Amino acid sequence: MVLAIETENLWIGYMDEEDNILWVVRGVDINVKENEVYCLVGESGCGKSTLGYAIVGILPPYATTKGTLRIMGKEVIVGDTRNYVETRGKLITLIPQNPGKALSPYLVISDQFYYVLNSLYGLDRKDSYKKARELLQIVGLDPEKVLDSYPHELSGGMQQRTAIALALATGAKIVVADEPTSSLDANLRLQLLKLLSRLRDEMGLTILMITHDILSATRICDRIAVMYAGKIVEEAHINEVIEKPMHPYTKMLIDAVPVLGVKKRLVSYLGEPPRPGEYIMGCQFNKRCPKAMKICKVEEPRPVYIGSRRVACWLYSERVENHE
Amino acid sequence: MPTRLRRSSRIAELKTLVKRAWRRRIGFRIGVIIVVFAITMAILGPFIAPYPEEGWGIASPETQLRGPQPPSWEHPFGTDLVGRDMLSRVLVGAGYALMQITIVVVVSLVIGLIVGVLAAYSRGLIERILNYFTELFMAFPAIIIAIALNTFGIRGLFVVIISLIITWWSWYARIAYVYARSIREMEYVTLAELAGLPSYKIIYRHILPNTLTPVIVQAITDTGSVLLEAAAINFLGLGLPPDYPDWGVLVQNGFNYIYSYPWISLIPGFFILLVALGFSLLGDNLREELDPKMRHRWKLWF
Amino acid sequence: MPVSLNYLVKRIFWSLLIIIGVIILSYIIIISAPGDPARIWAGNPRGEKAIYAIQKAREELGLDQPLPIQILKYTLQILSGNMGISIEYRVPVVDIIWRGLTATLELLVVSYIIGVSIGILLGVESALRRGSRFDGLMQSLAIILANAPSFWLGIGVIVLLAETIGFTGYGRIDPYIMYQTGFHPITGFYLLDALIQGNFAVFIDVFLRILPPAIVVATYPLGLGLRVSRALIAENLNEDYVRVAVAWGIKRKIVIWKYAFRGAIPSLTQVMGLAFAYSLIDAMIVEVVFGREGLGSIAFSIIGKSDYTLITGLMVTVTIFYILMNTLADILQAIIDPRVKL
Repeated sequence: MVLAIETENLWIGYMDEEDNILWVVRGVDINVKENEVYCLVGESGCGKSTLGYAIVGILPPYATTKGTLRIMGKEVIVGDTRNYVETRGKLITLIPQNPGKALSPYLVISDQFYYVLNSLYGLDRKDSYKKARELLQIVGLDPEKVLDSYPHELSGGMQQRTAIALALATGAKIVVADEPTSSLDANLRLQLLKLLSRLRDEMGLTILMITHDILSATRICDRIAVMYAGKIVEEAHINEVIEKPMHPYTKMLIDAVPVLGVKKRLVSYLGEPPRPGEYIMGCQFNKRCPKAMKICKVEEPRPVYIGSRRVACWLYSERVENHE
Repeated sequence: MPTRLRRSSRIAELKTLVKRAWRRRIGFRIGVIIVVFAITMAILGPFIAPYPEEGWGIASPETQLRGPQPPSWEHPFGTDLVGRDMLSRVLVGAGYALMQITIVVVVSLVIGLIVGVLAAYSRGLIERILNYFTELFMAFPAIIIAIALNTFGIRGLFVVIISLIITWWSWYARIAYVYARSIREMEYVTLAELAGLPSYKIIYRHILPNTLTPVIVQAITDTGSVLLEAAAINFLGLGLPPDYPDWGVLVQNGFNYIYSYPWISLIPGFFILLVALGFSLLGDNLREELDPKMRHRWKLWF
Repeated sequence: MPVSLNYLVKRIFWSLLIIIGVIILSYIIIISAPGDPARIWAGNPRGEKAIYAIQKAREELGLDQPLPIQILKYTLQILSGNMGISIEYRVPVVDIIWRGLTATLELLVVSYIIGVSIGILLGVESALRRGSRFDGLMQSLAIILANAPSFWLGIGVIVLLAETIGFTGYGRIDPYIMYQTGFHPITGFYLLDALIQGNFAVFIDVFLRILPPAIVVATYPLGLGLRVSRALIAENLNEDYVRVAVAWGIKRKIVIWKYAFRGAIPSLTQVMGLAFAYSLIDAMIVEVVFGREGLGSIAFSIIGKSDYTLITGLMVTVTIFYILMNTLADILQAIIDPRVKL
């Protein structure tokens, strides 16, 4: 079976003003199967958004890459060359983080549909409005109210749904959702997650969801990958992770989720994540980790596969240790 | 991100800005070279001019005999209608050019900063009134004022300087107002107010220093425009009298003979362009350095 | 329309206040200048009857009344479209200025069409290729054009055209062609009038004569349009909505023009509108250099003549033009930007 998204040792960095490269994503291997919901979870600055930009093809011009990215088997990134010609909008689409900023403030919604549909399928205005109506109904909006409005005339929830409808208008089956819930109120958040999982079933979508909110991730994901300082520290099925997080960082993220009505002791860990592009010796998490060992400060752990899980932590790497 | 910096670090900020611009921008370096060259010319001009008296505008029987000559080894920029050496005239003229623009920019800047910062700080009626006068004066072009003064026979250096100041101060007042206003809205200024810091201290400690850098950068850019306007006033014969070695006046001197002796007009005009360009290059590059968005390299990526 | 009536009324009221201020200020500047307008109006009389004649002129001009009343009267007079009689030419100031204004505006509009369209096209291309050799070249071009003295460029163009093709036809129109074809101005904009009358001989003549000065005046809007559109497009290309549009596979051309450029239009309109007002002065200077009729030549012709009615009229006209353009640019910007709700 062809993988929807596949990366092999993918590195992404940004060049600063002095042409130094800050590596934000450092050797990531992920593979997302078709019709799967895959979550990338991590704190802000861990490189998850950058990875998302690389996949949908909106890295800024001062970014550099190493490694490989394949979308539906098509090589999109090889080394520092990136080619998204037949992927943007055709294979892969984006549900943006902040719909208020992601829709052009100068165009009415119907025009924005027209430009998408005309660019990809050559539809004329009439046909594209027809298609827009269908899509807006699917995401639960009244087309007549939305089509002739400017984005700022819609509420936040409506903007988000409109952005989803536009993303779907591309017809691409792989959807990268970049923090789709972060700008919404709690009640809208759940609605949106339900909508996404419904769309996945009805339209056969593959969803890569990028979020810092592990709670949202549990509602919708099949598999989850936890990112820290530009690396995947743990990858597993969502249930496994919730039942028994292996990496101390994953455990920290889960422990930090408050549960309504339960007086759980919220555990907060000391320290802050490293700034993007700034790295320390050994495991990147060693300064915050409650279980840090000697080796953690010296050498970075390699990923270990345990069943279908993957974890990069010295706690699970006795064999590697012995090998030395 | 609100920038809250101590006053001493403001000067340091300008210094790092200049250093960074120098390191990274060819345009800035060219600008510095041109401006330094112009200043050197202004100071040394009268001393290194091959014919200093002719430079100051004195014509002798000897020059009369010489007449207008095209550029040669003897006279690299040629000679003017009465045979005066154009190189000397241009060299002596540099001082006039820099003196005019320095006076105008410094005086306008000071008035503008005071009015702009005061308007931004005092809310309500005073703010409105100050803004009203700022906008009022912005509508008056310097050249029209110079013409009006000339209509009544007032001429000379005074006309150039006064008519330029009348219009330019308002421009700086506007810019200072916009920056000062945005700083005034910031939380730490409000906090300082709530803490009971007297207004003159707030203005002196917070608002003025944070307004200064962008306004000065703007002023450097505008220096070129001031030179152009001053030159236009002098060219039209509204300012300095005909024999003065001002560049605008020099262009005017040759204007009626451009078909026969084009160098008399074209060479001094080129120096106006050069010096105006130098200041613009300085200011523009500094401004782009101030704006982090414009610093990144770029290519079309989609 | 996204702009509220409230905003429009406020903005126009403010401009009106400034126009009144400008009229008052102009009057004060002129009246406080040395020289006695009444004496000049009376024709600089000498001898015994001089005092009487000047007194009479003073009454005629209303200068015997207290200053506030004078100012009020003058303001009302200007607002009703009367600028008095020119002392030098002895005809209504409004007639002189109207003739000059149409000539100057014609030059200004033609140069603006040339300058803005080329400037913006180059600026967009420059923004898309930021940091390239083309961009560097355009940046240098823009900054040189912005700093070249227009009178000097004018001289350069005159010399160049004379040396290369022997063209020395300046002024607004060839009186001979005008007479022969029976051309008579209606609006005062000769290009427009020639088109209305279907008089192509005059149109081509006027156009050829306006082109050299128009190119000189166009350098400023060209350089400015290039720089401003480059900066605005570069800024807009960084916006989220442009990146999202790219991610959705929208064609590059549409992303550039309908998204990034569309976002630049409101600010661009405002800046270029303001520059249009500034360029009036440039046009007036270039006019003098090229020996065309217009506001500049009129102003130039009365230097030292103490024609205080005409110079006040000119001052008021130029400043009001600036204020009107400024207001118009603000209102246009507000209308074009759907987000602005004032």
